[in-house]
Amino acid sequence: MLLPDSVGQSTQVAQPVPDRTSERARSALRAVIAVLLAFLVTSVPILLSGKSPLVAYWSLIGGAFGSLDHIAFALNKSTPYVLIAVGIALCFRAGIINIGGEGQVAVGGLATSWFALNAGGPAFLVMILALAGGVAAGAAWAGLAAAIRLTRGVHEVLSTLLLNFIGVLVVSAALNGAMGEPGAGFPQSPLFDESVCLPKLFTGSDLHVGLAIAVIVAVGAQILLWRTRFGFRLRLLGGSRSAADYAGVSFAGGVMSVMLLSGGLAGLAGGIEVLGVHYRLIEGFSQGFGFTAVAVALLAAADPLAVVPAALFFGFLQAGALAMQREVGVPSSLVFVIQGLSIVFALCAMGLDRRRRRV
Amino acid sequence: MHGIVKNYGAVRANRGIDLIVGERRVVGLLGENGSGKSTLMKVLFGMIRPDSGRVVFEGKALLDHARVDHTPRRAIAAGIGMIHQHFTLVDAMTVTENVMLGWDQAGVVLRPAAIARRIEEASRTYSLAVNPGDVVAKLSFGQRQRVEIVKAILRGSKLLILDEPTSNLSPPEVAGLLGVIRRLREQGHSVVFISHKLSEVMEICDEVVVLRDGAVSGHVQIADATRESLARMMVERDLSAPIQRRDHTSGAAVLTVEGLSGNISFTVRAGEILAVAGVDGNGQQELLDNLAGVTPARAGRIRLNGIDITRMNVRQRLEAGLAYIPVDRAGTSLVPGFTIADNMAMRDINRPPLAFGPFLNASAVREMTRTRMAAFDIRASSPDVPASSLSGGNQQKIVLAREIGRQPKLLLAFQPTWGLDPGAARFVLDQILLLRDAGAAVLYVSAELEEVMTLGDRIAVMSGGRLSSPVPRRSVDVTQIGMLMAGAA
Repeated sequence: MLLPDSVGQSTQVAQPVPDRTSERARSALRAVIAVLLAFLVTSVPILLSGKSPLVAYWSLIGGAFGSLDHIAFALNKSTPYVLIAVGIALCFRAGIINIGGEGQVAVGGLATSWFALNAGGPAFLVMILALAGGVAAGAAWAGLAAAIRLTRGVHEVLSTLLLNFIGVLVVSAALNGAMGEPGAGFPQSPLFDESVCLPKLFTGSDLHVGLAIAVIVAVGAQILLWRTRFGFRLRLLGGSRSAADYAGVSFAGGVMSVMLLSGGLAGLAGGIEVLGVHYRLIEGFSQGFGFTAVAVALLAAADPLAVVPAALFFGFLQAGALAMQREVGVPSSLVFVIQGLSIVFALCAMGLDRRRRRV
Repeated sequence: MHGIVKNYGAVRANRGIDLIVGERRVVGLLGENGSGKSTLMKVLFGMIRPDSGRVVFEGKALLDHARVDHTPRRAIAAGIGMIHQHFTLVDAMTVTENVMLGWDQAGVVLRPAAIARRIEEASRTYSLAVNPGDVVAKLSFGQRQRVEIVKAILRGSKLLILDEPTSNLSPPEVAGLLGVIRRLREQGHSVVFISHKLSEVMEICDEVVVLRDGAVSGHVQIADATRESLARMMVERDLSAPIQRRDHTSGAAVLTVEGLSGNISFTVRAGEILAVAGVDGNGQQELLDNLAGVTPARAGRIRLNGIDITRMNVRQRLEAGLAYIPVDRAGTSLVPGFTIADNMAMRDINRPPLAFGPFLNASAVREMTRTRMAAFDIRASSPDVPASSLSGGNQQKIVLAREIGRQPKLLLAFQPTWGLDPGAARFVLDQILLLRDAGAAVLYVSAELEEVMTLGDRIAVMSGGRLSSPVPRRSVDVTQIGMLMAGAA
């Protein structure tokens, strides 16, 4: 049955097209090249400031991997990126752009903190309840944007973006009001009871169980996307809206469910952040999470499994940045330049690849 | 053009083609999709550089071994014009503005009035009926094509390349275009007419060059050609064998439509093809989308085997036995970036064997895809190849395999042969007839009158959102149908 094309009378010869595995290898290669180019280009401003890029990058690596504590710090930093970016990647696959991660993290952290401070009962159950509260709040926040899109036609880029500001300000309002620690002089909540906070993965390490949760979520999302009917419907929506209509896939249902899912994961990230790292709610704890996670999802080419290494890269980069600043005097903000350039190069490589394949 | 060779990797698109177009000649360029027609014309127009070969125009070498800077700009300057299948007009601009766009001689300071006068002049000479003040967005497809022709003429084209110019025109518009081509020839132009419609080629061309597998497989004067001989040169197999249609009486009503959108009522019986002719954009899309459940019906009732399906969604209608081949392969009936397997599964993921609880049974999908790829002769190396890498014919076979492979009670088909070469088109028609012979009801909607006449057990015409009352094939009056299609009756 499987005739090679040349056997047929038609002269149309299909070019050898990579399947999904080699497709993944290609995008991994693209990402690695993009990252290397980003480091290369960032060397220029380091050189201009009279420092050696090699020395700077060496201290960056030292800061990220120097000790077990450093590594634990970086892994904890990567955890929320994995969770949020997995949700954003699923949205991308469905053709939806959720840039509201920050607001969803903020309200998620707020809800988790409220339960952690106010709920009674066995500590473990309080912790689970608090995380579930965070998931629900994040999902509701994203669901709001989806509802506005579906009923009023406001594009989700706009609504998720604007809801970020509201979410962050709601957290501030709560901390300056009922949830604030009296007399702290800084908008933060009282410390949670130690027993409701996330357990550590290893005794004596700061590494909390959030990372394990995040990796499980990423694997689950991969299965969801490629092995379930729900995932197929999401991919169909992202592949072609009119094909989805033709196949009887509801646009409204797809948008709402993927946004709830994505918002829920961001809310979970917010909950893990307050229960695992800060042990309290702090104003501005969610800053930058949403946008960095969009970058992570892009670098991972919207592949839920690839989100894990991409998030780790960003986490370790940021963890090492402070050491680089302290030891070499290169501003840590250059790390954001590296992040940005990685994305630019990764997207360029994607575009180039697509064009080359068409010719 | 002499000895044009162009290879894409291992694919030999042009294998030493010679093409000579004389002055005041209309030369037909015939060939299946992928036979090398487009490559050859792109070489002529300077869009791609051949591996070897020469292009000589009016005694001057445009392209040979020494000269490799043949570009569309130079081709236009030399007097070659190309009318692409997809027009290069800006919808929001007037005809005059479109003609001036990107034209050196329009001057640094634009003089719309002068250009408009020249357009009117050309329009009169070639009886094009183009009005320079019209906004392109408001023009019909046929009129836009004439704007492209005016553009080419004013830019001084002596040789016009028309790439499948009739594929989107209604019969009266086709007749009009053929008239324009005759005027062009009278005025001293030469034309290359690319097509795979034999009847048009026979009608308008002086001579025909047939390509197959990147080489010339035949070159005849039109007087010596017959449709059968041309078809044989194109495909190396006999397509002239008449389409087999078994006579049998049709059964009970499968589809009954009453007052859909207010005024459309008809039935389709088991074992019957109701063929609907009509120019695109006369309500066919809405009718079919309503029937398939993609868009809700505004008014009326639809029954399938006696069950009212008017309020059912796409999924329920699928389960009731309704299959649908939409017209748009590029994004509706197929997702180009999806694999063959995913495209094959697209409308059946909610039922066993593909559904396995909330999961998709990947091995069942692959197995079904392999079986159907064999049954429908889909040529690809594996089910995991993206649909976009296949030829149009093989893509349409995926759609056929999915919709017919489900063994539906009713098939809705909207121009399923659009853009296919004769071999692939014939395959589609044969499959649809087989389905009819197996007792299914078929509603076949097309702008191709010939297809409608060949396939339909009963024939109707759609025009202005209304459906004429279906007529049995034996008592069809072709003139009457043509009039109805043009909206004149």
